[in-house]
Amino acid sequence: MKKINLISVTMVSLILISCTDFLSVNPQSELTQEAFPKSASDALMATNAAYTTLRNWHYHSGGFPILDIMSDDTHKGSNPNDGASTIGPYDDFSYSTTGDGLDRWWTTLYQGIRYSNVVIEKIPDITMDNTVKERYIAEAKFLRGLYYFDLVRAFGGVPLITTTEPDLRAPRSSADDVYALIISDLQTAIDVLPEKDEYGSADLGRATKGAAQALLARVYLFRGDFTNAERYAMDVVNSGLYGLEPVFIDANGENGEHGVESVFEIGAVSVESGVGNQYANTQGVRGNPNRGWGFNRPSVDLRQAFVSGDPRRNGTIIELGDVIDGIEIMGDSSTPDETLDGQGNVIEIESYNRKVWIAGLTTTTQYGHNRRLIRYSDVLLMAAEALNENNKSAQALPLLNQVRERARQGNNNILPNITETNKDALRDIIHNERRVELALEGHRFWDLVRTGKAEQVLGPMGFVPGKHELLPIPQSEIDLSQGTITQNPNW
Amino acid sequence: MKKIHTHTLNRSGHPTKKMHFLSQISAIALIFLLAMVPQLTAQQIIRGTVVEAVTLDPLPGVNVVVKGTLKGVATNMDGQFELNLAEGENILVFSFTGFETVELNVAGETQITVEMQPADLYLDELVVIGYGAVRKRDLTGSVASIRSGDIGKTTALNAEQSLQGRISGVQITTTSGAPGASAAVRIRGVGTFNNSSPIYVVDGVILDDISFLNSADIASMEVLKDASATAIYGSRGANGVILVQTRTGSASMDKPVISVTSEYGIQQIEKQIDLLDGRQFAVISNEIRPGTYNNVDAVPNTNWQDLIFDIAPIQSHQISVAGSSDKADFYASFGYFAQDGTIQGSSFERMTLKLNNTFRVSQNFKVGNNLTFAPYSQTVAPNAVFAAYRAQPVLNPYYDDGSFGVVYNVGNPLASIAYSNNKNTGARIVGNLFAEAIIGTDFLIRSSFGTDAALNRGRSFTPAYVIYNPDGSPSQQQNEFSDISKAQGINYNWLFEQTVNWNKSMDRHNINAVAGFTMQQTRSEDFRLAGQNVIRDGSDFWYVTPSYIIDEASNINMLNSIYNGVDAGQYYNMMSFLGRVVYSYNDKYMTTVTMRRDGSSKFAEDNRWGYFPSFAVGWNIHNESFASDLPFSDLKIRASWGQIGNEKISYFDRFSRVNSGLLAVFGNPDEAYVAGTYGKSGNPDLKWETTTQTDIGLEFGLFDRRLSGEVDFFNRVTDDILVELSTPGHLGNGQGQRVRYNAASILNRGIEFSLKWEDTISDLNYAIGVLGNTIHNEVQAIGGNSGIDSLLIGGYLANGQAVTLTRVGRPIGAFYGYVTDGVFQNQADLDSYPHMSQAGIGDLKFKDVNEDGVINGLDRTYLGSPIPDFVYGVNLDFNWRNWDLGIGLQGQMGNKIFNGKNVVRPDPYNFEAHVWDRWTGEGTSNTEPRPSFGGYNFLPSDRFIHDGSFLRLRTLTLGYSLPSTFLSRLSIDNARFYLKANNLITFTKYTGYTPEIGSNDVLSNGIDYGTYPIPRVITFGFNTTF
Repeated sequence: MKKINLISVTMVSLILISCTDFLSVNPQSELTQEAFPKSASDALMATNAAYTTLRNWHYHSGGFPILDIMSDDTHKGSNPNDGASTIGPYDDFSYSTTGDGLDRWWTTLYQGIRYSNVVIEKIPDITMDNTVKERYIAEAKFLRGLYYFDLVRAFGGVPLITTTEPDLRAPRSSADDVYALIISDLQTAIDVLPEKDEYGSADLGRATKGAAQALLARVYLFRGDFTNAERYAMDVVNSGLYGLEPVFIDANGENGEHGVESVFEIGAVSVESGVGNQYANTQGVRGNPNRGWGFNRPSVDLRQAFVSGDPRRNGTIIELGDVIDGIEIMGDSSTPDETLDGQGNVIEIESYNRKVWIAGLTTTTQYGHNRRLIRYSDVLLMAAEALNENNKSAQALPLLNQVRERARQGNNNILPNITETNKDALRDIIHNERRVELALEGHRFWDLVRTGKAEQVLGPMGFVPGKHELLPIPQSEIDLSQGTITQNPNW
Repeated sequence: MKKIHTHTLNRSGHPTKKMHFLSQISAIALIFLLAMVPQLTAQQIIRGTVVEAVTLDPLPGVNVVVKGTLKGVATNMDGQFELNLAEGENILVFSFTGFETVELNVAGETQITVEMQPADLYLDELVVIGYGAVRKRDLTGSVASIRSGDIGKTTALNAEQSLQGRISGVQITTTSGAPGASAAVRIRGVGTFNNSSPIYVVDGVILDDISFLNSADIASMEVLKDASATAIYGSRGANGVILVQTRTGSASMDKPVISVTSEYGIQQIEKQIDLLDGRQFAVISNEIRPGTYNNVDAVPNTNWQDLIFDIAPIQSHQISVAGSSDKADFYASFGYFAQDGTIQGSSFERMTLKLNNTFRVSQNFKVGNNLTFAPYSQTVAPNAVFAAYRAQPVLNPYYDDGSFGVVYNVGNPLASIAYSNNKNTGARIVGNLFAEAIIGTDFLIRSSFGTDAALNRGRSFTPAYVIYNPDGSPSQQQNEFSDISKAQGINYNWLFEQTVNWNKSMDRHNINAVAGFTMQQTRSEDFRLAGQNVIRDGSDFWYVTPSYIIDEASNINMLNSIYNGVDAGQYYNMMSFLGRVVYSYNDKYMTTVTMRRDGSSKFAEDNRWGYFPSFAVGWNIHNESFASDLPFSDLKIRASWGQIGNEKISYFDRFSRVNSGLLAVFGNPDEAYVAGTYGKSGNPDLKWETTTQTDIGLEFGLFDRRLSGEVDFFNRVTDDILVELSTPGHLGNGQGQRVRYNAASILNRGIEFSLKWEDTISDLNYAIGVLGNTIHNEVQAIGGNSGIDSLLIGGYLANGQAVTLTRVGRPIGAFYGYVTDGVFQNQADLDSYPHMSQAGIGDLKFKDVNEDGVINGLDRTYLGSPIPDFVYGVNLDFNWRNWDLGIGLQGQMGNKIFNGKNVVRPDPYNFEAHVWDRWTGEGTSNTEPRPSFGGYNFLPSDRFIHDGSFLRLRTLTLGYSLPSTFLSRLSIDNARFYLKANNLITFTKYTGYTPEIGSNDVLSNGIDYGTYPIPRVITFGFNTTF
């Protein structure tokens, strides 16, 4: 009996000693965050990851092109029922604080910010080549600035997160503070990043000095700081690294990917998961050929904005019966070809976004569209606008006319060079040029708000000044914050 | 204490952990077994006769055992026995089913006569309670049992189903009628947002499900409901525990008993859903889109439901042999079960091999094993139900040339079935080896090592095909390249348990105690691979081999056809200490104290260990002298309190992990580059969910126990529920990412009862049983102080709309949506009522619930609960001479069903028949809006909420046993033929295939997604034993 007791005691102590071992189990084949990033190759992985948010479907205003749908350029699209209650409200400003996609956009932009913060916060401690290290951090700062710029324009002042361990109850910062961070991040990027031609062809798509300058010009334009807007836009122009694609369609199409006009674009491969981008699928031709969901339908008003014969109209709008790359566009059987109002006027025509078209036979190919976030023609128009505002309309004209020259495609009967030097008149001309040049690229709504024309243009559609300049903070975020995050005015 | 002496060293010189623990376990087991070596001493022979105390008739087959050993014999046909007794072996224990056990000191005796009193069978019945058994009279917990006789009454597709409508407080819902589908089992409501299923303990092995068991191998199932009963399972007991005993040989078998059962049946769906016919659909389509059909009388009329549903066979065969010798008990069986689905192309087949053996090695030592081996094969059909429900009736299934016709928007379900080759195969091996030793007279030491291994393999092949439009152009239903995918999963867990039981009776004191130590590891691995463009369509080529696809459209000219490789694995470990004391005094006053301490690797070091105590008391009132005049044959009050846990969460939720599977795209041409960064945050502060349960119960027998019953009131509060919550977006976890917190409380409260009346009128034996329970389910907190989400959205439909919202004060997974308030009859009506911009005349009115003058997402509100208020069963059994009749009714009341399949409508689908009564002008309808193919009127609203109450004739069994006079000439003990019907009639208002709609996801419960209907089954069978 004594022997048994001894053995039992031994056994029990053995068990107790090994409790800790037995109950300590690590995840299998997965790293924990304490163990990453630790090496130069980890640093590259983390930097690359900060770009992946750009291909996240939700990054593109929550999945659906609500910015264009809110503008006078497009309607909801797809067939009348599809998304009627979720996306439809953006067409007539009847969306609420629980509006579809607001939360998806918000959380995804912050995910991009977190990915950027991992690089900015963790990579400095890694022992590696210093030049490369600095570049990685500057790339992340460019991306962080890009993500915050979307947030601040859409929602106003938002929680300003610059660490990987944010406060659960972070309140909203002021829009000025957010802009200050964006500007400082982009300035770092300008100081550190190489120019586009300094990267190898395999690295195209990474943030460049030119992209940071162009983005900063855009930021200053939204701040109404035309001096700085002019400065950074002209830096891009004067770098001599960029130009316009000879053919307008190539500016957004496959032939112009990472081409001379591309200042910053999102690379994607025609695969649905992992390396594809659903942005173009959401807007692709619905029905026959079956290339996508058909959201973001060009409006009658947009058609009228193009002067007769402007080739950009065909480069922007796919009409039924068009033949593109040998494929006839038949459209969707569940979508009316024309929608009439009570008086028999055509108010909507089945049509699709030409700028996201990509050659191919299946919906999957559509995932390979490289969305251009910044094109050189946008930089030219930003520079022109800033110069005009800074009373240098004469200097603005050549830049504006570069854009028109490319647009006319050698047809001298259309789109003559602008000679107007009256500041106010030229301002309107430049704004209109922006509309037709950059239609369906997500600029129009914000341009209208920025230039104070939103009430006049969008008022009839339901836009309420003092309210609709900003989207509401997603209700879910307000609920989650338990009141720390407050709603925008009049929501 | 050095701990490396049992280690083996691996190449890097570090101890190998796995070896360490396995060797440790074998060492522990060995120590205990060695301690039991018997000692040899002088012998003495004793002879005796055992007789029935009243008639003094000899009793054959009585077990005579030397107390504290396994040494013993059974009495012969004349009630006589003879035993060799060693020195000190003075006490004999006489036991026999139906009689009070007798203990006798026979020191110095050589010839004795023993009288045995008929027992109170009911109160002396042993009830298995986990790590031991107690007499029913000593039980202080709420435990319900079901015996093999009742288990066989249903044509059970799985063993859980035999509990349906038979045990109060237990709700079993079949989740799908697909062959091989599982059932959702809930004991006393839904107490967590996580896995709410009970655990199963099959012959001592703790398992998550028992779908692999052949119900004919089950001897009994005990459902442990209150904390007093479940606390011994500690962190895993919170959802209840179902103990399963499989059959064994027994000493009372004087010869091997062979049993053969064979059943064959047919299955059919109970009803079809009433949909529009071809003409009606054309008329409605023309109203929505004028001119779609020129002649509505000339359109085809296809009933797609007729085409996909079939009458399908089901069969089950089984042979078993059980027996016993003085050295061993054994049971072996072979079973075969096969079921074709009511939807073409689905089937399930399972074999089960069962071997249970016990060997008496010496007088006080026995070893044994329980083993089940169950290979299966399952063919899975695509979801043709949904397609048949949506397919337009104006389309023909085939073109004139016999090829599949196009079915716009949903695809031709017949083609989907024809081109699907989706098969799962696998096997489950569950078993244990155990050794038991008796030490002294009162101690029983048991070591058990059990394993549960499951291998599951899946294979799916879809050939390249195209369904053409009538004009010859390819339709959307096509598969450009053939697809092949393979999956292989291995789940393995081992459980080592070491227990010591101590039983002691002293005068009026009766103590039954157990202490134990257990270790468990649960491990799973998942391996998957998929590819495209298999070189030929034949099954000889259904392997994932590399080939290249030339994709002219993309920038990448060659795509490797192999993709989607997954190789994932995970495991977790548990370690526990347990103890329980059951004490009774004078058969009147009982108490049970239980404690378990569990440690789990799922939690970080500070929160790793949890304590789960319970206390219970009971009072057998009928044994009091003052009760002798009362008409009760037994009357007991019992009360229990305890805390139990739940830890069914993913193994690694506490870790913040790195997402290394990302890809970035750079370069011209576009190329993928590896990327990785922080995934969502983990929560290192996670700890156990704790359920505090109080139970007060009353058990009684009246009129010589012709009427017996049990009533329990229970109050069950689960705190610190592990719940995945949305975190503020600015934390950067990403869209849809949730983090687990201990942050919710749920109350389940209810009364459960079961009443049974049994009597005999001349040749007729009958029994009437009624049982039921109420459930009040209420979420008491979500989010708590964590600063996180205060509501949980779930029940996502295919279009992303969510139809359940869980919030404080409401039941889990409560439905929410708009409240309808009629149909806009005219412009004035429309103008005077707040409405969305999409609403027009003839559309539904939605109530402005928050009265802000605007209809939007904030007006969605509570629309009812998927959890029934009352679940009940009625069981009637009649035996008349050689005939037996069993009727089992089962029902529930007060729950709602969300008709989800009717809501998701992006395209023109067929309609349910009620659409025919649509609004066509002012005053025509105030419930059914003008027809539309989707959109506004299909927003989730109470229009899609239905009453889920039902009463179902679940089982009807009629049997005839051949007369024993005839059988005895053939040396057959018993032969019975029977006819069984399951789900013969269902009374319900619900329009779907079945009102029985379950889900294992408690936030998506009661939503009819268009699931595979549960069939009606009619079976003929026979059973014989010889």
